Amino acid sequence: MNDFALNKNTESKLAMTDNSTQPILARRQFLKAGACGLGSLTLAGLIPRHAGAGLLSPKRPHFAPKAKRVIFIFINGGPSQFESFDHKPGLKASAGKKGLKKGKLLGPLLNFAQHGESGMWFSEAFPHLAKQADHLCMLNGMQTTSRAHPIAIPMLHTGEFQFVRPSLGAWLLYGLGTENQNLPGFFTIKPTRTFGGPANYGSAFLPSSFQATRLGWGGQSVKNATISNLTPAHGRTPEVARASLELAQALNKGLLDQTDDVRGVIDSLELSQQMQQAVPEVMDIAGESKSTQEMYGIGDSRTDDFARQCLLARRLTESGVRFVEISSTGWDHHSNLNKFGSKAATVDKPVAALLADLNQRGLLDDTLVLWTGEFGRTPETQVLSGKETIGRDHNAEGYTAWLAGGGVRAGLTHGMTDELGYKAVEGKVHLHDLHATMLHLMGLDHKRLVYRYGGRDFRLTNVHGDVVHDIIA
Amino acid sequence: MRHTLLSLVALISVLVSGTLAFGEKSEVEKPKAGKPDAAKSKAEGLALFQQQIQPVLVKQCFECHSKKGKEIEGGLELDSPAGIRRGGDSGPMLISHQVEKSPLIRMLRHDDDVSAMPPDDKLPDKVIAAFERWIQLGAPDSREDVGPTTKEERYEAGKRHWAFQLPQPAKAPTVKKTDWARDEIDHYVLARMEAEGIRPVADANRRTLVRRVYFDLVGLPPTPEQIAAFIGDDSPDALARLVDRLLASEQFGERWGRHWLDVVRYAESSGMEFNFTYPHAWPYRNYVIDAMNQDKPYDVFLREQIAGDLIPATEGESPQAVEARRIAPSLLAFGPKRHNSSGTGFRMDIVDDQINTVFRATLAMTVSCARCHDHKFDPIPTKDYYALAGIFLSTEPLYGTIKQKYSNSPTDLLPIGPNASALHAAAEAHEKKIPVAEKQLTAKRESLKKATAAEKLAIAAKSAVEKRAKAELVAAKGQPEVGSTATDAAQAAVQQELAEAVVKLEAANKQAATLKSEVASLEKNVAELKKNRPPRPQYAMSVRDRAKPDDTKVAVRGNIREPGEAAPRGFLSVVNMANPPRIDVKQSGRMALAQWITSPENPITARVMVNRIWHHLFGRGIVESVDNFGMIGKHPSHPQLLDSLALRFMEDGWSVKRMIRTIMLSRSYQLSSTRDAANMKTDPDNRLFWRATPRRLEAEAIRDAILAVSGQIDLKRPSGSTVTPLGDQLVRGIPTAKIQPPSNSRSVYLPVVRDYLPELFDLFDFPSPSLVTGGRSVTNVPSQALYLRNSSFVAEQSKHAAKRLLASKAATDDAGRADLAMRWAYGRDISDEERNGALKLVQQIRDANPKNADSDVDAWAAWFHTLFTTAEFRFLVDIKSGDAT
Repeated sequence: MNDFALNKNTESKLAMTDNSTQPILARRQFLKAGACGLGSLTLAGLIPRHAGAGLLSPKRPHFAPKAKRVIFIFINGGPSQFESFDHKPGLKASAGKKGLKKGKLLGPLLNFAQHGESGMWFSEAFPHLAKQADHLCMLNGMQTTSRAHPIAIPMLHTGEFQFVRPSLGAWLLYGLGTENQNLPGFFTIKPTRTFGGPANYGSAFLPSSFQATRLGWGGQSVKNATISNLTPAHGRTPEVARASLELAQALNKGLLDQTDDVRGVIDSLELSQQMQQAVPEVMDIAGESKSTQEMYGIGDSRTDDFARQCLLARRLTESGVRFVEISSTGWDHHSNLNKFGSKAATVDKPVAALLADLNQRGLLDDTLVLWTGEFGRTPETQVLSGKETIGRDHNAEGYTAWLAGGGVRAGLTHGMTDELGYKAVEGKVHLHDLHATMLHLMGLDHKRLVYRYGGRDFRLTNVHGDVVHDIIA
Repeated sequence: MRHTLLSLVALISVLVSGTLAFGEKSEVEKPKAGKPDAAKSKAEGLALFQQQIQPVLVKQCFECHSKKGKEIEGGLELDSPAGIRRGGDSGPMLISHQVEKSPLIRMLRHDDDVSAMPPDDKLPDKVIAAFERWIQLGAPDSREDVGPTTKEERYEAGKRHWAFQLPQPAKAPTVKKTDWARDEIDHYVLARMEAEGIRPVADANRRTLVRRVYFDLVGLPPTPEQIAAFIGDDSPDALARLVDRLLASEQFGERWGRHWLDVVRYAESSGMEFNFTYPHAWPYRNYVIDAMNQDKPYDVFLREQIAGDLIPATEGESPQAVEARRIAPSLLAFGPKRHNSSGTGFRMDIVDDQINTVFRATLAMTVSCARCHDHKFDPIPTKDYYALAGIFLSTEPLYGTIKQKYSNSPTDLLPIGPNASALHAAAEAHEKKIPVAEKQLTAKRESLKKATAAEKLAIAAKSAVEKRAKAELVAAKGQPEVGSTATDAAQAAVQQELAEAVVKLEAANKQAATLKSEVASLEKNVAELKKNRPPRPQYAMSVRDRAKPDDTKVAVRGNIREPGEAAPRGFLSVVNMANPPRIDVKQSGRMALAQWITSPENPITARVMVNRIWHHLFGRGIVESVDNFGMIGKHPSHPQLLDSLALRFMEDGWSVKRMIRTIMLSRSYQLSSTRDAANMKTDPDNRLFWRATPRRLEAEAIRDAILAVSGQIDLKRPSGSTVTPLGDQLVRGIPTAKIQPPSNSRSVYLPVVRDYLPELFDLFDFPSPSLVTGGRSVTNVPSQALYLRNSSFVAEQSKHAAKRLLASKAATDDAGRADLAMRWAYGRDISDEERNGALKLVQQIRDANPKNADSDVDAWAAWFHTLFTTAEFRFLVDIKSGDAT
């Protein structure tokens, strides 16, 4: 049994206590776990209190995981699938005809070709990524709940938009802990301040230790971003700081006979000292070889920022960080879609390098990489204030995301939209299904990863979500 | 995918006889009277039911949908006529005479987007056809209802849940250890211990006790003088007097008001995806603090927060008291909101948040679970939820905001302070002048534009004529006969035209000049109006009854587009009251709700509050799940104690201060934290309160204690909130330094902007201000250690503390300083070993910077900094006291 450290003062144990080889819940049991329902495998969660540093120590998953860590590449704004990965000859043929909404059908602006042994389609905007085709699992039948940024972004990150809920990374830390106690378990790099802002990487009702450590803000260069409190503000020498720490620990030890929480304090102080060394080390990319830096695109002004994010994502996950989110903004092409190619060029090389690098280090097998926007775009031109522009509106009914590594079927193209690309028609994967599948790949049953708050058991997928077994290797 | 019952029922669009409420007996629907063949249809239907339908139900459905089965899936019971008519959680399964509208048929057909039933194999077409025919015939049922359905039974069982029974007076239990108890409380606590073979540990020493009492009551450490005064006071009522003094201090309300602010998810911004500032939430914060300090009776406190705007002023009551009451219902207005949303959906989400907050805060009931279906565990039918929703829908929350991008539905606010109405009226009247003046200006500018155009035309016309006149002259010069009549006439005509053009131009010039000056004057007017805005009063959030209060209908599965049966405004049906307050249909019903919640006949309200108080003083409630007294909440560890406290609380006029005092003066509160080895074996979690559980201080107390030690704390209440001058805007655009400006005020006054809390709050488990939180989590993680060791706040405060130390006359040498620092931080003497450690650290810094004039400050700052990072600074533990106190 996995002794989850949250409720030391209570008899209760959290959901994670059940690690028996229970089969995936039958649908009927699942229904019981619905809104306000009690997941049959859960015991009372209650108020987590006096949780020691062990809160983040590694936990046993529900079943053998295929992936151990996640890199979430958030393409903020709703990238167009028609100019990237969803090859639509039907749309090309019908270009110029009247669309279902206000605009005219807009043929893909870029040429497509098949790549790799899998023959996966890529537009010419992704020449580097195309070389990684056989690592990707392309999901062309994605669907989500809303085609409005302010709803879809919290949905993507927390599975909910009406209420404040824990983010995907927080759920994973809650379920799995993290492997390297010298580093935070969940990083978000350059998150957006809009559309939920910090709630997109928050812990909501889970203990706050499960929230992300933030590096930088969206819109600022990652080059100079720092993590707060890593560098001492007191200006003392490291020797004095160390002496002060040792003195504090000596004082702490005098209280060990009263409460185990003091053990937690002692550990957290010690860990903080280690983090002070470990975090700058892992964040310092200077030690990477010139060829690696070049492979990612560091030094080239177009790719530099995203390349740094990708390289950091690799370095962090390689060092045992459970979940890293990186972001690229500016993909909301209502107009200026003709600039899609130059936008794509800012991420193509870095992302391709990330996959290649993970692969050559043998990390790709158990690192789950997700590329997705909050939704995709429509096949027709955008009409803005009565004027037709070269751009596309939001689309939640059919879009493209891709996964790589971490136990997904490499080289697979799963799902498709209709001939023109309005809606997913085959192999539909709703966002909730994607969440369920990601948890599954991490060894967690999304129906069993629950937390009792306010009289009911909550889960990332609420009452939804089916694991998409077809995309699992 | 997602073939769930929930999605299935989203398709049902018509409801017939309506969902039956819990506890009501269903009547089998009679075929419509007047139909000539009704009797015949019924006979055929009954025969069909007996021969073909019933056997299928028994064989195929009862496994999951009957009392005898394993489960009642989806709340659907098919083994009784009442159950079959009622349908499941998501509404009726069949609609008499309407085959296509009956969800049952769609399920049997295994249609898309509904739960296929039976789930595995579809029934033969012949059987489905029989069901269709049966429904066509009105779906008559030949069975009789025998006893209540499982749902009714569960409701009845739920009614018997301990929390719904009135607290019972009882005689305090007798105990073996007769000399131990100081208060009735101790009898209950000791009796449980004796029953389990546990002995209470010794009393805490006085040094430990005084620190505990200070932090518990005012959230600040006692000064060495205050400690000495208490230790030196050997009168028997020393503790009582200390408690009384602290209860009477302003700092008490700041400490205990914050506990309440947690519960009502107080915040100064809307949160959610567009996070707008709420510049006028702070008066509520002050209201709560003041109410605590005034020891406003808890029932009054609750009534004011639910319906303070509806309570009439009494004779001789101060205007401030009346105004406070109107601020109190702010808690119905500052909840998290999606301001970009609008319409009924927006209103229903607000109502849901209001129901959730009010019922969890006051009754520890998760009523909002019943929004989409009957509560899964507690006897709260959906109809109850909508009965309450009617009350809140009839209430207009006044949350302010202004109309701007992503904010669609601004409301009024409550003007407060001296002359509020007059100031507000003047400001509003002035505000109205601005668009009027601007309109005038725009019109005048338009005229000016036209006049300028006319001026240009006149200039052009004049120069055209001039040109012609010139040409005329040249032409005339070229003529052989100068002075010919024809030429003269042409010249005269052109001169005439020229004269006219000049006149026109002059007129145009004049017109333009006049308008220009008028525009300038109007511009000045507008500018002055904008500049000379009269002073506005302060504002608060509030609520008011809507003009036309009304009941609402059950929204089937929470879907407002699917209205179900009417839900007349009312309260929780599970609570029985002899004389429940009546809702005046002309009002929202909030007043009646407030009375219902605070009625002595309400079994839960007083219990919830005494339990919250106990939780704050012992680190755990008698009911551990402080926000959930429902069926899946924790049972009380000491039910009779809880009842006894609840009854005392009500009898004593719902006085929070006196309840706190009573508990603090009990022996149970005053125990040490000693870990008795034998007790640890039986009750390691201290569920029986045999010792004082060591507690970590909350974020606010940690910060305030640091500021108190550094001498920087500003105990004066700051005026308003720093969010107010930011105005109504999206938080994301505000620089962090402006959201959380530097402050030395007590932590309760720091702005609580959703998602942008002060860093220290975020790290030390301040609860999410979007969520109702009666019990905070306590974590111990490296990011806290990093903050304490490295943040500029703690570094700066350490320096301030060092300067204060060096200036203090109470310590004259290094040894004395090391000692005094510890007295400030820990409230105790330093040990020799500790002193050696401190002096070594201090010397190390001096040696490193012998020439640095500030090295003494730096050195002592390091000692304070060390103390701030330790467990003893932020935990309430036993103080090992050398002086035998």
